[in-house]
Amino acid sequence: MLFSSVGFLFRFLPIFIFIYLTFPKYRNIVLLTGSLIFYGVGEPYFVLLLLLSVLVNYGFSCYMFWEPRSPQKNRRKKAARRRKRALTLAVTFDLGVLFVFKYWDFAAGSINALAGQGILPLLSLALPLGISFYTFQMLSYQIDCYRGTLEKRVGLIPFATYVCMFPQLIAGPIVRYSEVAERMISRRVRIRDLENGLKLFTLGLGLKVLLANQIGTLWNLIMTAGAGRLHVLVAWLGAAAYSFQIYFDFWGYSVMAMGLGKMLGFSIPRNFDHPYISRSLSEFWRRWHMTLGRWFKEYVYIPMGGSRKGNGRTIFHLFVVWAFTGLWHGAAWNFVLWGIVFFLLLSLEKRTYGKRLEQSRVLGHIYTVLLIPVTWVIFAITDMGQLAGYLGNLAGYHREEILVGVTQLLRYLKEYGLLLIACVIFVTPLPEKLYWKWKDRWFAVLILLGIFWWSVREIISGSNNPFLYFRF
Amino acid sequence: MNSNKLRTFLEIMYNCPFILLVIFTSIIFGVLFDGDGNRRAVHAMADSRLVQEGVNAGEGDENLGEESGIEINGKRDLDDSVKRETEKETEGDEETLQNAGERRENGDKIKDDLKQKNDTQGSENPVKAEEVETRATEFVEYVPIETHSRYYSDAGKTALTTAYDYVLENESYFNDAAFLGDSRTLGISDYAGLEGADFFCDNGMTIYKLLGDDGVTYQKTGEKVDLKEILQEKHYGKIYIMLGMNELGYGDTPMYLKQYLKVIQQIKEWQPGVIIYVMANLHVSQEKNNMESEFNNININDKNVASARLANGKDVFYLDCNPLFTDEEGYLLADLTFDGVHLYAQHYDKWRDFLFAHGVEREEMQQTEGSGQKEAPGEPGDS
Repeated sequence: MLFSSVGFLFRFLPIFIFIYLTFPKYRNIVLLTGSLIFYGVGEPYFVLLLLLSVLVNYGFSCYMFWEPRSPQKNRRKKAARRRKRALTLAVTFDLGVLFVFKYWDFAAGSINALAGQGILPLLSLALPLGISFYTFQMLSYQIDCYRGTLEKRVGLIPFATYVCMFPQLIAGPIVRYSEVAERMISRRVRIRDLENGLKLFTLGLGLKVLLANQIGTLWNLIMTAGAGRLHVLVAWLGAAAYSFQIYFDFWGYSVMAMGLGKMLGFSIPRNFDHPYISRSLSEFWRRWHMTLGRWFKEYVYIPMGGSRKGNGRTIFHLFVVWAFTGLWHGAAWNFVLWGIVFFLLLSLEKRTYGKRLEQSRVLGHIYTVLLIPVTWVIFAITDMGQLAGYLGNLAGYHREEILVGVTQLLRYLKEYGLLLIACVIFVTPLPEKLYWKWKDRWFAVLILLGIFWWSVREIISGSNNPFLYFRF
Repeated sequence: MNSNKLRTFLEIMYNCPFILLVIFTSIIFGVLFDGDGNRRAVHAMADSRLVQEGVNAGEGDENLGEESGIEINGKRDLDDSVKRETEKETEGDEETLQNAGERRENGDKIKDDLKQKNDTQGSENPVKAEEVETRATEFVEYVPIETHSRYYSDAGKTALTTAYDYVLENESYFNDAAFLGDSRTLGISDYAGLEGADFFCDNGMTIYKLLGDDGVTYQKTGEKVDLKEILQEKHYGKIYIMLGMNELGYGDTPMYLKQYLKVIQQIKEWQPGVIIYVMANLHVSQEKNNMESEFNNININDKNVASARLANGKDVFYLDCNPLFTDEEGYLLADLTFDGVHLYAQHYDKWRDFLFAHGVEREEMQQTEGSGQKEAPGEPGDS
């Protein structure tokens, strides 16, 4: 079920909130059941996989905290060994499941291609919704348990609720248990929380439906014209459109999650902090998908030694982090390439011009504004031949005659001009600043009501073309 | 005690104006609109009017029926029993007819059909006439699967390009042509290089909106125009219509057919003698098809089969471009598309050539048919 669907907005959410408020004593159970229904509607089989993962992980975490009754020799040593074993098993299990469902075909396909024959069979499994997110969340829980950040074993229901809770199950943010630990035990939902949560949710809905979905059609239009035969300006327009789309899509979803979290009495961490106004790519990654960046930093980069082991090692650590960040986003070579491009650029920044960029007001912005769309193009186009064609177009090079030229460019600008301006405005921190300043004023309430119904209208008329980014 | 309760209640109300407004408006909209966002009252009214017109066309008004020849078809074809009868008649030919396009050899048969049709019309037997007309479009049957959708069902057959003695044309054929459609037609406008034709299309265009007051974008100027006015003022030789994608999740197939019929009727009224091409909607790729929504090839085929019934091989022709771009299972080839729905720009050449290959020469048609369509009601050519 998508947040931006009629079924969620007018059926699931009101019914769920009603039950949730009616039984304040059983909030975790209600939330867990609701979340499983939420997930199960779209993924009737993979909900079982989710449940299995939760149970197995819970088992490992119990093993980690398990203490033998009778006093033993080397108690501490044995406990440490047990913890290590439990962690290893948990990590192996989680990454194993993720690998089989997400990466097997990619890995097997690549090996087969290298060998020139079909050594490994392809499984053609569908990707369980949100598996990358909930796997990482469970891993963070296991590692936190291992490290002692979480001192006490938590109950099965709170743990399962933490992993499955529907606001963040499918697309994050990747929450750490310590961030919700207190609220897991008891939480109060005040009427103000419901009100503010719904407002925040509406803001996110608008970002997703009114900005991301709409501008996404421009990217589709341009890609349909065919990568490789675009006028250089059209190519840049397309790259910009996709950059807007992916940002508002993901940011909108995160804001909706925050709003829903608030309505349920949680405080879900922020995932985006206006990434496109960064002055360097390092800054960009401190502002983009912050919970994922944090995850890699705390569970991969720093444990490896971070930047404390000399320059050579730092570069290597960066490489590992970025190769995995790339792969996390998808099982295809373009994602690896995307990660590596970021690795190269970030290493360059760290070693040479990074400081200078962040100091100068103008240069840094130009740098990010030009580079980020290019990286998103690499992210967006899975077919390597097309990707090369598109990158060529961005540089003004094309092998065949241009199919989409200035005529179409003018039409696109005419059709999408206002939307593009709106996108640029929403990239700046201004709208959010105004939101927090005015959100309780009566006119803001009316504007939000307008956004809500406009979004619903778009969702309904979009049910003609129900897939995410599409309109004919 | 009571006043205290009231105060708490008011306080709560005061603290959540947004929630209250959303709930309040939801209830209002819930009463006014149905689940698809269609206005309940107006929608029902429009529907009943359509039915009324259909009934008039099919039974009451003889003149109207003869004028366009298809109302009876469209109306009756909604009726299953008639459908089955007509299909049985055509069954014999189906095995030999593999595909659209190159079926010159059948031209003679069609001419025979037309002659037969003239005879039957003379003997005032509308049912017979209808059967013959349906033969203009051949259907290939298959075993339908069960669908559980309010939007469509499995048609259990696919429609082939209307059999006719098509002529190979060149670009000048399109100088008096108009294309009406959605984003796919926009693709033809952009990339097929038919400079002479007028394109009226928009992303998201539907058969319901086509002649509406919101207008359609005229691609030569980029301005929104009222198609009703244009079609009454400017005369076209041929009109190509391709709509049905944005209707996949709106209403159902009979409703789509009714509206399509109405549009064609209206166009014929404004454009006497025009050749109307009803173009099949291109299927989607396997990946898109499997996304478990109403957006799938069974639904598209259901719409295509419905619209194909409107063809009569006389002045309405059904063109199925799908064989050009789909695999043997009917999925749009993955190499030809980015989003599983639209062709890459470079492949519109093929589509253009397909259109070139399906020219209808009007003089010839008039000869075959006697006085044809130009004189509308009460045509004397039959006697």
